[in-house]
Amino acid sequence: MKQWFLGLPGPMALKVVMAVVAVLVGLVALFFFYDWIGANMLDSGGTIG
Amino acid sequence: MDEPITAPVEKSGSRSMGVLTRIVRIVGWTSIVVGLLILGFVVQQLFVTTWFSQQHQEALSEEAEEHFATAEVTEVEYIPPTSAGNPGEVTVNPDGTVTPGAGGSTTDDGAPLVPEKRTLLVESTPENGTAFAVIRIPTIERLEEGWTVVEGVELRNLKNGAGHMPHTPLPGMPGNSVISGHRTTYGAPFHEVGDLVPGDVIEVDTAIGTHTYEVREVIVVQPTELWVTEPREGSWLTLTTCHPKFSARQRLIVFAELVDGPNWEAIYA
Repeated sequence: MKQWFLGLPGPMALKVVMAVVAVLVGLVALFFFYDWIGANMLDSGGTIG
Repeated sequence: MDEPITAPVEKSGSRSMGVLTRIVRIVGWTSIVVGLLILGFVVQQLFVTTWFSQQHQEALSEEAEEHFATAEVTEVEYIPPTSAGNPGEVTVNPDGTVTPGAGGSTTDDGAPLVPEKRTLLVESTPENGTAFAVIRIPTIERLEEGWTVVEGVELRNLKNGAGHMPHTPLPGMPGNSVISGHRTTYGAPFHEVGDLVPGDVIEVDTAIGTHTYEVREVIVVQPTELWVTEPREGSWLTLTTCHPKFSARQRLIVFAELVDGPNWEAIYA
């Protein structure tokens, strides 16, 4: 993680911004992934057909 | 020339220990990450979705109240399929004469039997996503206060509330009105419907009034068994949800029949 962070281009401030954006994008993607798995395996809402 | 012969063995052992340590570290971190991902999934599904659903329910509750106050309710003539004259086969001509169907529908002296007409209160079908009803089940704590029902059973509809299946009648109408809902996520409105037994009461508020149903049967079917949504004689409410809890493998179905409400007399009397 540290290596990945230090490997980001630009000055330290830009690295921090890029890291925060990357984490947020990752969390949103994870949220949709969870939602997709949940709807398909855990609880689809009980619809028929 | 006095080199110790054990030195290479010690270096090899230390290298093996290093590799082992590295493997243990990777396995350990992988387990932690996988554990956190699973924990995140559980928290997201059970708590975050419920929180979202509760926020939507508050807004939808107000929308439903507004719908009750503004929806256009009309009176239409209704001929019960079971009434004398077998109206399903009778045609009322523009000039007022009645043509009996192929199945008969005539009196003893051969005259067409005019079916008894009744007045049914009808509201127009709400647009997809509109909150138009509230379902209440007094014997289920979660549904004691009511849960808002929206039109449509797409995933986005069911995230907000219970969903009325399009192309089935609205609650309180003749036929089979189907409402689906989550059982474990998004507020899990139908979490305890498996506890319902014949005789339990289900109430549905619509713009027309409160329709009271009594549970007749609770069954488990496969998700593809569309027959549960087919029209029924009289007025029925069918609740569908996932079964067993925490699985979308099957469906729990609750059949309930109308026993009271603004349209009961027109349909059953």
